[in-house]
Amino acid sequence: MSFVDILRGIFEGFDVTLIVTLLGLAYAIPFALVAGVLQHFSQGWLRLLVTILIEFWRSSPLIVLLYAFYYSLPAFGIYLSGIAVGAMVLGLNIGGYGSQSIRAALQALDRGQVEAGLALGLGRLDVLRLIELPQAITVMIPTFINLAIQLIKGTALVSLLTLTDMTFRAKEISQLSYDPVRIYSSLLLAYFIVCYPVTIFGRYLERRASEGRRSISEI
Amino acid sequence: MKFDFAFAMEIFPQVLQGIGNTILVAIASFIGASVLGFIWEILRRSSRFVRPVAQLWIDAIRSTPVLVQLYFLFFVLPHYGIVLPAMLTGVLGISVYFSGYIAEVFKAGIDAIPRGQSEAASSLGLSRPDTIGYIIMPQMLRNIAAPLGAYSVSILKSTPYLAVLAVPEMLGSAFDVASETYRYAEPMVVAGILFLALAMIGVALVTRLERRLGLTPAKDL
Repeated sequence: MSFVDILRGIFEGFDVTLIVTLLGLAYAIPFALVAGVLQHFSQGWLRLLVTILIEFWRSSPLIVLLYAFYYSLPAFGIYLSGIAVGAMVLGLNIGGYGSQSIRAALQALDRGQVEAGLALGLGRLDVLRLIELPQAITVMIPTFINLAIQLIKGTALVSLLTLTDMTFRAKEISQLSYDPVRIYSSLLLAYFIVCYPVTIFGRYLERRASEGRRSISEI
Repeated sequence: MKFDFAFAMEIFPQVLQGIGNTILVAIASFIGASVLGFIWEILRRSSRFVRPVAQLWIDAIRSTPVLVQLYFLFFVLPHYGIVLPAMLTGVLGISVYFSGYIAEVFKAGIDAIPRGQSEAASSLGLSRPDTIGYIIMPQMLRNIAAPLGAYSVSILKSTPYLAVLAVPEMLGSAFDVASETYRYAEPMVVAGILFLALAMIGVALVTRLERRLGLTPAKDL
């Protein structure tokens, strides 16, 4: 098979890679937001609970989490498809990292922001929604893009649950014809084609954000 | 098949057997990643012709999954007659993957040193190697210690990828138990608990080290 044929064959798995990525984001974004805000706000046992939850998803190795959930959920009577387990585990793992950037961004805000909001008669939730979160989210967009790239790369793991993503397609092709050099070079190239534009986009946003900050401070 | 807690307790020691290799792989990969990352950063700072190539190389490492990089080394190296033990291939793969990130750590660490430092050194008559060795390096080490510590934990968490190359580390031992007993749920959960505990110990050690060095903890990676 020619290089182009192999690459085309690998991209037949792109839809699974994309679906797992998008479903993963659907877990990651709400989890990061809710857990990050709760960890910032809550106190006592609630804070401990949120912290344990975040640390569980963040501190366990991704591949181990994936296997543990894939094999043990049925033992507890929960039957989920490979895509569902893969997206959930990948999403919550990345979301755990994301929650820490949200919390850090919230903590980095000047306290005067909140005080000014409260002094103007806004409720605490309105202060969060209208003043704190918009600023925190702007600051963490570059981090968020990096996490999205981590998620895309992480989807390669679902090939281990025999889902036909790009990595699994490469393995299938390698069973048809022995040509490891071309097949695995193509696979690396395929991920590079998918992830590199996102990296460039993230860098552009980062540059724009830092320019924006500079122009604000000049005013 | 229901989850059998008694069975999980029973296989605990068997899964734990792989912990030595897990720690060994983590330490070797951390050293490998630091050395490679330093080399990439030096190349990026060398000449303006090498610079874009080094940048693209670092970006390429960071834009591809570690699992695929491991497959690549595992299947492609033997094709060219380079037959390495699986564990060494794995250490090489993890080292390469994290070197892309650690190069950025070195970059930030060097960028953070004010230019005046090297200008002052040269005006005091220090040679270029002396400037690097006595002025730049000590300050850089201080800057990179915290992020390197955070990456050392990330590397520890990436070692179970080596199970796909049949390296007998902790996830590998869990798979051995699973294939002997035809039960997957318990060994995987036991492996999960052990890795989580190991990562927690890693984080605690890094935090202690940072405190001893009087550093502020690294931002999350």
